[in-house]
Amino acid sequence: MFDFLKKKLNSVVSKIAEKVKGKEKVEREKKIKETREKKPSFAEKIIKKITEIEITEKTLDEVFEEMEIELLQADVAVEVIEKIKADMKKNLVGKNIKKSKLEQEIRESLRKTLYDAVNTPKIDLEEIVKNAKKNGKPALLVFLGFNGAGKTTTLAKVANWFLSKKYTCVFAAGDSFRAASIEQLEEHANKLKINIIKHQYGADPAAVIFDAVKHAQAKNIDVVLADTAGRAHTNKNLMDQLEKIVRVNKPDLKILVLDSMTGNDIINQCRMFDQSVGVDAIILTKNDVSNKGGSIISAAYVLKKPILFLGNGQEYKDLEEYRPEKIVNNLI
Amino acid sequence: MLDFGKKITELVSNILGRSTIDKDAIEELIKGLQRILLQADVDVKLVYELSNNIRNRCFKEKIPTGFTLREHVTKVVYEELVGLLGKEKSDISDKRRIMLLGLYGVGKTTTAGKLARYFQKKGKRPALIACDYHRPAATEQLKQIANQLNVPIHIDDERNPYNAVKEGIKRFEKSDVIIIDTAGRDTLDKELSQELKKLGEIAKPDEVLLVIPADLGRVAGQQAAEFNKLVGITGVIVTKMDGTARGGAALSSCYATGAKVKFLGVGEKLDQLEQYDPVRFVSRMLGMGDLQTLMEKIKESELKEEDAKRIISGKFTLKDFYDQIAGMQKMGPLSGIMEMIPGLSTTLPEEIVHMQEEKLKKYKYIIDSMTKEERENPEIIHASRVKRIAKGAGVQEKDVRDLLKQYELTKKVIKKVGGTASLKRGQLAKLAKKFGLKF
Repeated sequence: MFDFLKKKLNSVVSKIAEKVKGKEKVEREKKIKETREKKPSFAEKIIKKITEIEITEKTLDEVFEEMEIELLQADVAVEVIEKIKADMKKNLVGKNIKKSKLEQEIRESLRKTLYDAVNTPKIDLEEIVKNAKKNGKPALLVFLGFNGAGKTTTLAKVANWFLSKKYTCVFAAGDSFRAASIEQLEEHANKLKINIIKHQYGADPAAVIFDAVKHAQAKNIDVVLADTAGRAHTNKNLMDQLEKIVRVNKPDLKILVLDSMTGNDIINQCRMFDQSVGVDAIILTKNDVSNKGGSIISAAYVLKKPILFLGNGQEYKDLEEYRPEKIVNNLI
Repeated sequence: MLDFGKKITELVSNILGRSTIDKDAIEELIKGLQRILLQADVDVKLVYELSNNIRNRCFKEKIPTGFTLREHVTKVVYEELVGLLGKEKSDISDKRRIMLLGLYGVGKTTTAGKLARYFQKKGKRPALIACDYHRPAATEQLKQIANQLNVPIHIDDERNPYNAVKEGIKRFEKSDVIIIDTAGRDTLDKELSQELKKLGEIAKPDEVLLVIPADLGRVAGQQAAEFNKLVGITGVIVTKMDGTARGGAALSSCYATGAKVKFLGVGEKLDQLEQYDPVRFVSRMLGMGDLQTLMEKIKESELKEEDAKRIISGKFTLKDFYDQIAGMQKMGPLSGIMEMIPGLSTTLPEEIVHMQEEKLKKYKYIIDSMTKEERENPEIIHASRVKRIAKGAGVQEKDVRDLLKQYELTKKVIKKVGGTASLKRGQLAKLAKKFGLKF
C-alpha cells in the first residue's frame, strides 16, 4: 500500500516539476513545499483519500464480525449484541478514520459503548436504611429470582454486609414452597446470629414478610431481608403471588438475583420480573466461575438498573462491590 | 423452547416456501439458523460446524432421485439438527446406581426426587442417599422429598459423604435402584473435585448424570468437560425447561463430552420429569407436532384416548373443558399438551392457561350444579338457569357467565386449530414418512 502511495506521490510531484523550468522551477518547488506545509495540497488530498476511509455500514459489519464472536463466547445475549452494534453504527458510520487505525477505532468505540451499558445508576444501601429509619420503619429488602440463582445465600451475604456496618437485621422466610428452604435460611440465621421470622410450609409469603416487618418495627431492627421462592417467570400464578407480596408490604428495594452463568435467557428473566413487579436493583451471583461476565452486560443493558453487588464465592464475605470498568476490561 | 421451535419453523417455511430456491436462499437460511441457535446458547463453534455441514451437503451432495431441491434442503436441515441433538433415545430403567453431579442451584436435589418418582412409576423400588453435607439444609430438603414420595433415604449422622455412600449401598441392597445426590459448589473447585472423585470410586455408579439448567450460558461445554474428566459422565439432565430458556447449553455439554441428554425437568413438581427423545424433540421443534408424547401425557392425566381424539376433532363439552384445566393443574402448564398437537401452538387465552386454583374450584362447583343436559349443551343456559346454577354452587352469577365465556373461547381455539391441523396432517405425514417417523 505504501509503495503504491509513494509512486503516486512521486508521479504527481514530477508532473508538476516537469512543467516548470530554470529559476522558475526552483522557486516553484520552494513554493509548493511551503504551501504544502501550510494547507493540504492536491497531493495531500490524495494521500488522505488513500489512507483514510469513511466508515460505512459494510466496513463496520466486516470488522465487527470478529468482535461479535468474542462477545457471543463471553455470553453477551444476541439481542444485546445487536443493540450494541446499532449504537456503534450511530456513532461511527460516516466518520473518516485512518485505515490503519480502523480496527483500533472500532474497538475503542465498542469499549465505550460497553462501558456506557454497564455504568448503571448507583444506589446507596445505607441511605435507604437511614431514610426508612426517619419514617420510623425498618428497610424492607425483598430478594427475587429464578430457581437456583442463589437468592438465599445472597440474602445471608447481604445481611453479613449490613452487620459489618453495624446495622441490625432480621430474616423473613418467604420461601414456603421448596423443601427445606426454611431450614436453609435458619442455618444462615444461626451462623449470623440474627432472628428469623417463619411460618409453616405452604403459608402465604406476603403474611410472613408482613410479620417480619412488624417484628422489626417492635424491636427497632434496621433491615428486614425477605427471601422468596424461586420461580419461573413464565408461571403466572407464582408471579401473581410475588405481586401480592409487593402490594401488601411495599418493599424499599426489590432485588433481582441472577446467576451470572445464565446465557441468552437472562434478558427474558430481567424483563419478565421487571414487568410483573418492577426491579429496583440487581445482584449477580457465581462470578467466581471462569466466565467472562457477558451476562452482566446483558442484564445491565436490558434493565439499566443499579447493580448492587457481585457474588464471587461461598463465604459470607464473598460479595464484591460492583465496578463497571472491571467488567469491560475482563471482556475486551 | 416453544418459541425456539416456532422460530425455526417460521424461518424454514419462509425461505423454503419461496417459488425458487437458490444459493442465496440457502445462505439466508443458514444465517437465520445460526442466529436462532446462538440465541439458544448453543456453543459458537458448534453452530459454525453445523452451518458448514448444511452448506456442504446442500451444495455438494447429489440430490436423491425423486426429491426436489426444496425437499433435499429440508431433509438436510432436519437431519443435521437431529444429529446435533443426538440420534438415539437412551433408556436408564435397568440401571442400579445413579449418581447425580452438578454445580450449585442447578436442581440436583429436586431432580434426585424426580428420578425416584420416575422409577416408582415404573414399578421399581428406588432409594436415595444424601451426600450433600455442604449446602445448608440440603439433606433436610432431600429428606422432605423422600418423605413425600415414601422412598427410603440414607443420611450419615456424622455428615460424612463417603460413609453415607458405603452404608447406604449396604442398607439398600434390596432396592432396585439407588440414587445418590452429591454436593455442588459455585465452580468445580479442588475440594469438590476430590470429593466427587472419591465418591465415584466408592459408589461405582453405572450411570453418572450431570445436571445442568436450561438457561446456562456458554460455560456449559467447558463445565461438562471438566466433570467428565473427573468422573466420566454418561448422560445429562436438563432442568428448568419450563422457563423461557431454550436449553442450547445441553447441546454444548453433549458435544463436549459425547454424553446424551436423558431427561428434561419441566416444572417444580416431582412428576415433572420427561424422558428425552431427540427425534421427538426435533419434530416438535420443527412444528411437526408430537402425537406420541401427547398420547402418553393424556394417559398419565387419566384422560381417555377417545376423549382426546374427540377434543382434537372439535367436539368439546363443558366437562372436557373442566377435565382439561383440572388435569393441567396436575401436570403443569396447559401449553405442555397444547404444544404437542400439530398447529395448536397457536396460543390459548392467557387466563385459561394459568387458571388459578380458587377459580378452578369455583368452576367445579358450577359444573356440578348443572343438569346433565346443561353440561352437554351449554348453549341452553340462559338467565334463569344461570341464576339457579349460581345459587346451587354458592357463587355469583358473574362467575357462571365467566365460565361459559372461557369455555366458548377455548372451544373456538380448538376448533380452529383442529381444522387446520387435520389439513396439515396430510402433508406432515408425507414428510414424516420420508424421515422414518411414525405418525
